[in-house]
Amino acid sequence: MNYKALFRIIGVFLIFHSLGLIPPIIVSAYYADGQILDFFYPLLFSLFSGLVLWLPNINNNSDLHRHEGFLVVAAFWFILTAVSALPFILGPHLGFVDSFFEAASAFTTTGATVITGLDKMPRSLLFYRQELQWLGGMGIIVLAVALLPLLRMGGMQLYRAETPGPMKDEKITPRIAHTTRIFWLIYLMITTLCTLSYWAAGMSLFDAISHSMSTVSTGGFSTHDASMSYFHSLPIELITILFMFLGALNFSMHYLAIHKRSLRVYFTNPEIQAFTGIILLSITVASLKLYFDHTYPDYLAALRHSAFITVSIITSTGYTTETFSSWAPFVVTLLFLISFVGGCSGSTAGGIKVIRVILLVKQGYREILRLIHPNIILSLKIQKRAFPDSVTNGVWGFFALYIAVFSLAMLAIMASGVDQVTAFSAVTSAMNNLGPGLGTISSTFQSLNEWNKMILAICMLLGRLELFTILILLTPAYWRR
Amino acid sequence: MQLFVIQRILGILLMVFSFTMIPPMLVSVIYLDGVFEPFFNAFAITLITGIIAWLPVKTFRQELRLRDGFIIVALFWIVLASFGAIPFLLSTQLDISFTDAIFESLSGLTTTGATVIQGLDELPKSILYYRQQLQWLGGMGIIVLAVAIMPMLGIGGMQLYKAETPGPMKDSKLTPRITETAKALWYIYLFLTIACATAYWFAGMDAFDAIGHSFATISVGGFSTHDASMGFFNDKPMVELVAIVFMLISGVNFSLHFLSWRSRSLTAYFKDSEFKTYVSLLAAITIISAVYLYYTNHFIAPERALLHGMFQAVSIGTTTGFVTHEYHNWPGFLPVLLLFTSFIGACAGSTGGGMKMIRFLLLLKQGMREIMRLIHPNAVIPIKIGGKPLSDRIVQAVWGFFSAYVATFSIILLLLLLTGLDQISAFSATAATMNNLGPGLNEVGSNYAGISDIAKWILSFSMLLGRLEIFTLLVLFTPAFWRR
Repeated sequence: MNYKALFRIIGVFLIFHSLGLIPPIIVSAYYADGQILDFFYPLLFSLFSGLVLWLPNINNNSDLHRHEGFLVVAAFWFILTAVSALPFILGPHLGFVDSFFEAASAFTTTGATVITGLDKMPRSLLFYRQELQWLGGMGIIVLAVALLPLLRMGGMQLYRAETPGPMKDEKITPRIAHTTRIFWLIYLMITTLCTLSYWAAGMSLFDAISHSMSTVSTGGFSTHDASMSYFHSLPIELITILFMFLGALNFSMHYLAIHKRSLRVYFTNPEIQAFTGIILLSITVASLKLYFDHTYPDYLAALRHSAFITVSIITSTGYTTETFSSWAPFVVTLLFLISFVGGCSGSTAGGIKVIRVILLVKQGYREILRLIHPNIILSLKIQKRAFPDSVTNGVWGFFALYIAVFSLAMLAIMASGVDQVTAFSAVTSAMNNLGPGLGTISSTFQSLNEWNKMILAICMLLGRLELFTILILLTPAYWRR
Repeated sequence: MQLFVIQRILGILLMVFSFTMIPPMLVSVIYLDGVFEPFFNAFAITLITGIIAWLPVKTFRQELRLRDGFIIVALFWIVLASFGAIPFLLSTQLDISFTDAIFESLSGLTTTGATVIQGLDELPKSILYYRQQLQWLGGMGIIVLAVAIMPMLGIGGMQLYKAETPGPMKDSKLTPRITETAKALWYIYLFLTIACATAYWFAGMDAFDAIGHSFATISVGGFSTHDASMGFFNDKPMVELVAIVFMLISGVNFSLHFLSWRSRSLTAYFKDSEFKTYVSLLAAITIISAVYLYYTNHFIAPERALLHGMFQAVSIGTTTGFVTHEYHNWPGFLPVLLLFTSFIGACAGSTGGGMKMIRFLLLLKQGMREIMRLIHPNAVIPIKIGGKPLSDRIVQAVWGFFSAYVATFSIILLLLLLTGLDQISAFSATAATMNNLGPGLNEVGSNYAGISDIAKWILSFSMLLGRLEIFTLLVLFTPAFWRR
């Protein structure tokens, strides 16, 4: 393990992270809400500890290798989450576990919160939560587009060749730096567009900026307790749907679309096709069920609410308009199960990812064909590209592990007396980086005990880092050699 | 497709099955409970239908091929379940709808043990006996299915056992192999049943209950002649112990029983990695249950917590589904933990349900291999069971089986929710039927009488899916199967 290079990188992360605390300070100064010091001390802490890690290793230019990539990724999320929790401890005096939960939820773009009374919170703190999600989204894009394919996570090596930037290179840094710049630019562009649309649709500038940050990152934090239903506005809901959808598409597609100046790439991509299909189907089923249950007076109202919630959940954003947890158990469970599908790979969305689901279906069908024709040789294809067995096994393994971790986490939560529906929704919400829950946690996760919040925070990180990244660090084999 | 041969086989099957109506007739005569006629009529209907199906095609004697296997296996359960429902429908003492009769019969034959009948204690003895016997017969079918047919069809990686099946090998012809295997295994099955019935009798059951419960124990079915299930014998703790021992034995691969019987030694068990996993997992679940029951003060006496914890862990882990105490009212995560355990289920080649222990073991090993592959991307890491490396084909089949199981589970769960069940009842009912377990939670905690007819049909389908290891049925729904 190249620890010096590792420390140098983490030091750089921390220094950059400290810069992220400057905007909340400015917001605090602008609104004079008296939170400046609560952000300034964490800034100093972050900057100082970053310098301590960075300075001694400043001349260490040795490159990190694939093997160390797992540790860097895990360290990045765990350390930055812990440091990001500081303003929550200093500002609203949350406990350590609550703060860690809130920071993890923000940073993994989950959107589950333990805070109530958002409308009365200091503006700077509200802004900070939204900003954390946005920064988390930036991290995820790099992770999803550049790192995971490189680390061959759960079959994601299939994207290896498609990532823009220098290729066929086991060295991580140069490639990531190049890719990162392109994607962050796209990310910033979409966020700006989203802000302007929100603003034009009637949000205040503060709300527009804040919500655009949690929309494009598919995070789902809001500056109001009532989340998006605070605005009661159809245009705002439509804008949200559009940008949640864009945030859940593979950013490589955005890049290609801009690069080729054509929208055709979106329509020919099988992952986006399947994703759109799943969304439309779910909306239809959900709206019909709501209509026939007379949950809403007419079909249009049912359609409007189900469209918003469905897109919000499948993209793992987690905004709510109505208290959707009181909808028919069928619709609620359907949506939570669909959140396992999640968004496209290479996006900020959570879940298993659409491409893996496509592969799972194809692989399952292949197994059936193999039963009918035991001696046939069938290759797996998406758009005429055949996949090697290593991808197939990677995807199967990822899915099985996902279910296993899910079951264990759910049992762990239930062990302290939480009911089944609440536990199911809490773990689904955390692992898929979704946000809202059901049962006793339908508005906030505050009622859970600290032990459960910690489990859920770890589930968020596990889900975000696609399980293997963290689990691999727990095996002795990783540390040997 | 050789439709006439299939028809001939089903005809024979029905004729044989009709004779299983004779024991309940005898029971009816002994107890004079007035259900003789319905059983006789059912016997006549089944026999005549069998003859009508058989006579015109009795000369078709072509060999069956693998592909016919899928159809026969599926039809076997569907046809027998339909005819098995006749006595329920005909008897006047039992006021039961068509849906309920099919549900009950299928639940019996798939050894699930979910019941829609309330007030068992007041039912005529012959009907009670018939239910138990259905499970026992189902168990006989399952053993042949699990030990001989599934490995041959290669369902979900079960080709792993192809070489180990007793009987003539390396032969893709179905019939001779199956007859050989079946004979050997049924002797063991019969022997275990007699041993179990005797043990129950010594433990304090009367002869009727002893025989009835031994049927449901060895077939890991879980039907009982009492509403309180095994809880009826709460004052006789030996009954619970006997049940635990025989459920454990029945959850083991019958090929292992065969091997150890032939070699007159127990080493076959301890060399088998599936058996070891099976015992360790059930021991772990037992300890967790007992400790949790004791510390939540659900049982004050530690030995009671241990006994009931162990009984329920074994009963649900082997997918039998006997209950002593209302386990669905147990505290905290225990009911769900136990239901999750039933997904893993008993060993392959046993009468148990669930995904099977060997697949669970393989999933663990395969998952571990994926992690090792991330660490060493270019390493070639074989997966071994009992020292022998597995082919990639089996590995993928096991992955596929697991995914299909999860997907099917989710779809059935959603369908049940659509019929208006609450989440916990729907979740547990799906798990209890797909894993051929029996009792669920909440609304379906003690019986399935209270749910809608549509829900019962969905659950019947789910029992069949679970019993046929999903793929056997799924294959029949693909156009590719019917083409050519």
